[in-house]
Amino acid sequence: MSFDPATVAAFVDGELDDLTARRIEREATSDPALAAEIARHRALKAQLQAHYAPVIDEAVPERLRALLAPSDKVDASLAGRREAKRMRFAPIHWGAIAASLALGLALGLKPWMPPASVTEANGTMIAAGPLAAALDTQLASSQSTNAAVRIGLSFEDKAGRYCRSFESRSLSGIGCRDDGGWHLERTMRGQAGTAYRQASSGELAAAAAAMMTGDPLDAAAERQARDKGWARR
Amino acid sequence: MRFEEELVELLPRLRRFARGLARDASDADDLCQAAIERALKSQEQWQQGTRLDSWMYRITRNLWIDDRRAAGRRGIHTPIDEAVAQVAGDGAAEVEAGALRGDVDGAMARLPDEQREVVMLVLVEGYAYREAADILEVPIGTVTSRLARGRETLMYLLGEAA
Repeated sequence: MSFDPATVAAFVDGELDDLTARRIEREATSDPALAAEIARHRALKAQLQAHYAPVIDEAVPERLRALLAPSDKVDASLAGRREAKRMRFAPIHWGAIAASLALGLALGLKPWMPPASVTEANGTMIAAGPLAAALDTQLASSQSTNAAVRIGLSFEDKAGRYCRSFESRSLSGIGCRDDGGWHLERTMRGQAGTAYRQASSGELAAAAAAMMTGDPLDAAAERQARDKGWARR
Repeated sequence: MRFEEELVELLPRLRRFARGLARDASDADDLCQAAIERALKSQEQWQQGTRLDSWMYRITRNLWIDDRRAAGRRGIHTPIDEAVAQVAGDGAAEVEAGALRGDVDGAMARLPDEQREVVMLVLVEGYAYREAADILEVPIGTVTSRLARGRETLMYLLGEAA
């Protein structure tokens, strides 16, 4: 085995540069000892994650929520929405899209096999690939910490469509579902870099508040809507 | 989004992290509660535009370490200094390989605190080495060496993948 244990561990942790990672992958196909070592590390990681995963789905105890109340809901009040409407949003942030395409729209996946996450149809941007899959299936209430796409709010817009805000490394925005798929109504540069979520979360929440009718879906309603394929009510 | 709302979003993950550190579920929620109270009190110390999650994890972890140290002085827990940790690590080797197969809690309990926190941050919470180093305020090399030792002990105790 030509890789030291630290390198194998770093490979499993996604800490290697692409070139070295690819070398390990290639070598593992012809080196059973290396392949076994990788499997051993992956098995441990999977076992630990599976063990602690149920905590995420537990209801957060009231004594913890109470400390942060009454803020467990986005400001969907009239004043909040009026405020959000005053903020200006480019309907589609083409700069962000171009940057995302330049980045290979990797969305955290291996860059040498970039799945397109956005397609274009009749002049509108439609989610594809892993982004579409996340919008279709992922629940905000139970998504994993390191999911490539993080779902924020799900809500109904004035046209009666289900919409969902999302954030990922290269692209963040709001997608609204109709027969043609998830139309990207709002997009902004993703959270790549250090600024992380602060700015985009706030902007997205404000944009969502301006678009929604009623309150955002709670966990149960979100699940129900997903199970019905996001069909309009 | 308001500070409190961001915190609410973090709660499920923070509870998972605390569960890994404190093991006992109600101890873990006590830890979360203390961390939230601390965060609300020192809210102005959090710099807008920096990661709230890292900041919360650091608060939680530091409170836990303080608690462990205090308990250690009262003779309840083992102290967490490096020398003792080393002995604990060796002690694990006296147990038969795979002796704790399937018992993740038991195996994690055998880890010295500073290995357990790194295992939680990187392997469970999915933080990059650099991010874990920032949360723990240690050099990145310390993260990788503690992680390596924690991993070896866990794989040994839990038994390797068949």
